[in-house]
Amino acid sequence: MSTLSQLKRALPKNTVISGSENTRPFECDGLSVYKQEPLAVVLPNNIAQIKKVLEICRKNNTPVVTRGAGTGLSGGATPLKDSVVLGLSKLTQIISIDAEKKIAVVEPGVRNLAISEAVEEFDLYYAPDPSSQIACTIGGNVAENSGGVHCLKYGLTVQNVEAIKMLTIDGEELSLTRQDEGLGLLALMNGSEGLLGVITEITVKLTPKPELARLVMAGFSSVRDCANTVAEIIKNGVIPSGLEMMDKFAIEASEAFAHPGYPLDAQALLLCELDGDIDSVNEDLNKVLGLLSNATTTRVSENEDERLLFWKGRKAAFPSIGRLSPDYYCMDGTIPKRHLATVLDKISELSTHYKLRVANVFHAGDGNLHPLILYNAGRPGELEKTEAFGMDILKLCVEVGGSITGEHGVGIEKLDAMCHQYSSAELDVFHQIKNAFDPNSLLNPGKAVPTLHRCAELGNMHVHHGELPHPELERF
Amino acid sequence: MMSSIAELQKQVREGKELRITGDVDNTDKEYINISLYSGVVEYFPEELVITLKAGTTIQEINNTLATYGQALPFFTESFDKTIGALYATSGPEFSDSVLGVQIINGKGELLNFGGQVMKNVAGYDVSKLLVGSMGRLALVTQISLKILPQRIVKQFQLKQPQRHKASELSLNFESKLKKVFDPYEVFI
Repeated sequence: MSTLSQLKRALPKNTVISGSENTRPFECDGLSVYKQEPLAVVLPNNIAQIKKVLEICRKNNTPVVTRGAGTGLSGGATPLKDSVVLGLSKLTQIISIDAEKKIAVVEPGVRNLAISEAVEEFDLYYAPDPSSQIACTIGGNVAENSGGVHCLKYGLTVQNVEAIKMLTIDGEELSLTRQDEGLGLLALMNGSEGLLGVITEITVKLTPKPELARLVMAGFSSVRDCANTVAEIIKNGVIPSGLEMMDKFAIEASEAFAHPGYPLDAQALLLCELDGDIDSVNEDLNKVLGLLSNATTTRVSENEDERLLFWKGRKAAFPSIGRLSPDYYCMDGTIPKRHLATVLDKISELSTHYKLRVANVFHAGDGNLHPLILYNAGRPGELEKTEAFGMDILKLCVEVGGSITGEHGVGIEKLDAMCHQYSSAELDVFHQIKNAFDPNSLLNPGKAVPTLHRCAELGNMHVHHGELPHPELERF
Repeated sequence: MMSSIAELQKQVREGKELRITGDVDNTDKEYINISLYSGVVEYFPEELVITLKAGTTIQEINNTLATYGQALPFFTESFDKTIGALYATSGPEFSDSVLGVQIINGKGELLNFGGQVMKNVAGYDVSKLLVGSMGRLALVTQISLKILPQRIVKQFQLKQPQRHKASELSLNFESKLKKVFDPYEVFI
């Protein structure tokens, strides 16, 4: 009996979806240039059914691609040929909320924002806020170690997860908590992209809502001035809850679309949000305003409406760029902040070289770049050219000591880029970690870590976090 | 006592049943003593990042950070301890601040995981996985940490975290991971 018939027999009606017409919505995730029809899509209602799926797939040697809401941007949930997509979107129970301990226990299919909505009555919220938070699931957030705008102060997903339960490929339940002695298995699972197990329950940390939040908006006549101000703010002991930068192109596009009142004469815009109790916000605000002598315009939100309006432009940056071009490719890389101006100069040179426009939005606080490359997939060869441009940006990130992905994951998108960031010995460690959990490589195989063969074929020289050869030599 | 990466790699490659110590007075031959492999490698106060050799003492780190009004954002009970020792014996309250590590694995290979940036989801987070590994998987030579302003750390009420035993299944995976990093069982 085929895998499909076994699944259909073992699971309730309407749980197993097959046939290309029916599985089409699951053929891609947010990286929609890559599509693949799966063998079947299974949408279980409970953990027993997930176990059943794993059992059948294990017996038949069928790969399993776990999926949340499918909002990921790196192809982590793109189906593999002849794979079963295990969609956890029906597991949407908030199991318990403990306002005293500031934790909530939730199923993996609960949406990120639904957690904050459920705990609002206790003046709490779930801090990590990826831009897809209205749709993305918490299970997917753990799998990708998702970030967002507020990471500098409140951490990534990994710092906001207290415990998880997961099923191994053998169907055993592995329970991991922050109190466990020994290795950091819980941290390992954050960002493991569905390669090590299937997450079935998450205990998240909840954060008290701040008494007050105010947003400082400042325009600068150069990217360098703006970047220097970011460094000065942090050096002066202020940790903003959000610290965002946009370049001229992004400012213009957002202003035209969302009308937040951004200064159109500025080459770079800084958005600096301060939150906390009233006294500390005012103290921080005075410090920040004192560091803005280089700014050409400065405005501070006077009320909640205005704060949200200032944010609106930044939050609408991607769709507003989307209005200007048939397609755009959203890149994600991180760099040490001190190299920001240099990196943006180089991206601008590359833009001229490839004859493709690029807009830059940037989580300046934690060095996370999001260049948006504008292209037209309808023109032959333009997607390939765009991907080559993207790869050059990622190489640049590695060269200055950063990373090829800050919060979007590797998935299928950045397998080649991984060859630049890691040596073969390091990649081998990743493969062996996978092997320790999933020896037959059934969980999302081929994603996240490139084969050594692939890297060898690319012939890439990897640059080690900007380090020079012979790191054992002292350098002064 | 070893003070260069090449020497440390040599000791691991030639070693058997090694233990790691940061105690300067420990001259026992079966120990790799990393107390001389110490010092601040790089410090960027405006990036909230410090990179340290594993033998650096907490006291030395605190002194360096204090010059810019910054501090380690986790509980430290003894200032004489090395950052390597703290890394080997801590849990998530410490790994939350770890950005990257350089290690020598049981085969004597020098490997880097993570880096000096706040956000990095390329590959499994080995730099956090090895926190709490008690020196049994690899020799940690260099650690990059996220640090914070003193005024913020002061609000944290840092204390010794409570721990409980991990499950049997976790221990089973731990022993498999031990083989990934130290296939010849050099570190005991």
